[in-house]
Amino acid sequence: MNRTRAVVTASLATVSMLALTACSGGGSAADGTVRLQMVESLTNPARTALIRELLDEFEAENPGVTVDLVSPPTDQADQKLQQMLQSGRGVDVLEVRDSTVGAFSNNGWLHDLSDEATTWAGWDDLTENAQAVTAEDGARYYVPYGFYGLSLFYRTDLVEDAGFDGPPTSWEDLLEQASAIQDPGQNTYGYAFRGGQNGFSNVVAAVEAYTIDDLDVENAYLLQDGSTIFSAPEAQDAVDTYFSLFEEAAPPSAVSWGYPEMVEGFTNGSTAFLLQDPEVIATVSQSTTITGEQWSTAPLLTGPTGKAAQPLATAGWGVAEASEHQEEAADLVEFLSGAEPATRFAQENSLVPIIDGAGEDPFYAEGPWTSYVTMTEDPETYVNVVQPRGVSWWTEWEQKADQDLQAVLLGSMTTSELLEEWDTFWTEKYAAEN
Amino acid sequence: MSATAVRPPRAPAPRGPVRRRTFGRRQALTILGFFAPAIVFVCWFTYWPMLQGAQMAFRDWNLWDLTSTPWVGLGNFATILADPVFPVVAGNTLVWVVGSIVPQLVIGFLVALALWRRFRFRGLYQALIFYPWAVSGFLVGMLFRWMFNAEFGVVNDLLMKAGAIDAPLPWLADPKLAMVAVIVANVWYGVTFFAIMILAALQSVPEEVLEAAAIDGAGTVRRLFSIVVPYIWTTLALTVLLRAIWTFNSPEIIYAMTNGGPAGRTHIITTWMIEYTQQGSYGLASAIGLAVMVVLFVFCAFYLMAMRRVNQR
Repeated sequence: MNRTRAVVTASLATVSMLALTACSGGGSAADGTVRLQMVESLTNPARTALIRELLDEFEAENPGVTVDLVSPPTDQADQKLQQMLQSGRGVDVLEVRDSTVGAFSNNGWLHDLSDEATTWAGWDDLTENAQAVTAEDGARYYVPYGFYGLSLFYRTDLVEDAGFDGPPTSWEDLLEQASAIQDPGQNTYGYAFRGGQNGFSNVVAAVEAYTIDDLDVENAYLLQDGSTIFSAPEAQDAVDTYFSLFEEAAPPSAVSWGYPEMVEGFTNGSTAFLLQDPEVIATVSQSTTITGEQWSTAPLLTGPTGKAAQPLATAGWGVAEASEHQEEAADLVEFLSGAEPATRFAQENSLVPIIDGAGEDPFYAEGPWTSYVTMTEDPETYVNVVQPRGVSWWTEWEQKADQDLQAVLLGSMTTSELLEEWDTFWTEKYAAEN
Repeated sequence: MSATAVRPPRAPAPRGPVRRRTFGRRQALTILGFFAPAIVFVCWFTYWPMLQGAQMAFRDWNLWDLTSTPWVGLGNFATILADPVFPVVAGNTLVWVVGSIVPQLVIGFLVALALWRRFRFRGLYQALIFYPWAVSGFLVGMLFRWMFNAEFGVVNDLLMKAGAIDAPLPWLADPKLAMVAVIVANVWYGVTFFAIMILAALQSVPEEVLEAAAIDGAGTVRRLFSIVVPYIWTTLALTVLLRAIWTFNSPEIIYAMTNGGPAGRTHIITTWMIEYTQQGSYGLASAIGLAVMVVLFVFCAFYLMAMRRVNQR
């Protein structure tokens, strides 16, 4: 019987030990060293390696603090992070995006960095845009590591061959040039039209450019009078021009084109224009089909009044409310937001930098980055706007808008019905919220 | 003896003492002790989360505000049933399952028959044919997404070179073609499983019965349907059941190839569920998950009852 008891006891002890180890996270060791756990969400191998290098530098500067980096695969990262935050353990520093900050902060999972951040030695080095990233309640739940902004990638040779002096500056110009270049018989298309996932974002960019004079820049889905941008008469002109790009200057299969197809279409030389974030610069630079002389970037396209709305998307580093080491965690965020690490991170991930004056670095002053400098230096023309990406229905909106966009492309919905749908959606959502 | 008299022999009935206790109370406790970790783990990591997930289906469980998850009874189920997307998604799911399983069964059977007899390099052929089963469904979806790409994909290129089409087909952009494309990818992925299972079952068909039937004048087709199929009937039925459940439950190929598009025309129940989880609406997603589980339980029960009836004939 003793043997039986021993077996049962050993089994239960094993289970308990495994369970306990499974639940453990960062903490303080007996010797006083602090172990932080940092979780990223836009994981890719090169980026993870860079973050690890930066963390090693932080550890060297802060003896007694070690940082474990957790890198879940991107498609599962948000769920994983949410589970860790909900459990209240295992996260000290985390990646927060403008699309996740709303839910995370609403559940009380994020620490407000307002008090710490403004006292940092390097705080004044941050750009106005970076300093301005705060939640609706004024709290600062993360410090951005960079911005994503749109620019127009274009083929210099195809534009020249079609008889144009330079790249298009407005949506109307784009339609004219892309239509002129389109030649399906030669497998050459004008515009890498985004009909698949996230395709709605370019429709909205066009509508915002056409309604810029009345736009509420703090919520670029609304006009200054409180109505939605989709209800404006100019929105009809915007969508008609935009969808003409599909009819006159894109392959029919672009109905399903998402990010990979668009970028592939440009890098393999078959499409002349591509509207994308700067992260694509690195990908296009590696193309073996088109050389560096055959392409460049131009500033975002303007509307009829000569202005464009630049919807800056952002992400950054935040501190978990449940962290037992908020002071050290905030130190880590301060380090990552410092001039040298932040500039390196932005450059190696093709982001618009958060450090004031980093745009004067030769890295940004030459080649495809010049369009970003042009836009930064002319905020009257290229107006920075904030989209309401933090609202609770943002993902629902993305999914609905993409389906409606495809319905228009397939002919089962008209452009005016599309605008009516979108206007109703946002009007009802805001009404329900209030 | 005529060919029509050929029947598969019945398995011998079990004989002898039915049960005999082979260990005492002490040994039973020891065995239980060794099993305990596994039992605890399975309960903890499988059944407990399942129960947690099931109760979410009856609550307003939204990621946006987890500080309040009120009980809503059957409200989530009512919302799903009232959604105009529901009938479209249900129809797509039926097309997806039936359209995937039938070709998989037919092609898998043919592949298994081709690999049944010994020939040179059979092992190599088997390895090559069974390879897809080792690939992740998501990766298969990514590969086929590029293969079916209208401009840069190999499918249109081959069809045009073969003279079958004059202009590239927008496979993933056309609502009808998109469903065909995702089913083709799933058939390629699933044929292997049928081939493996059927080939294993074919090894149990006795050579002497087939030889006797051949001597009696039964042709290849007659031997196939009068001897081989009845012998492997149970395996066929179970394989169809398993694949039907997996196909019903597997969103990864569609998710990677079309993400339910264009305009929701390839949306199936499980991609719809993913859509809700991405919105943070875990209550609605759990309601769909629970409904799927119930549907599959009912399907399995009817299917197994029907199979038992067929076997008893």
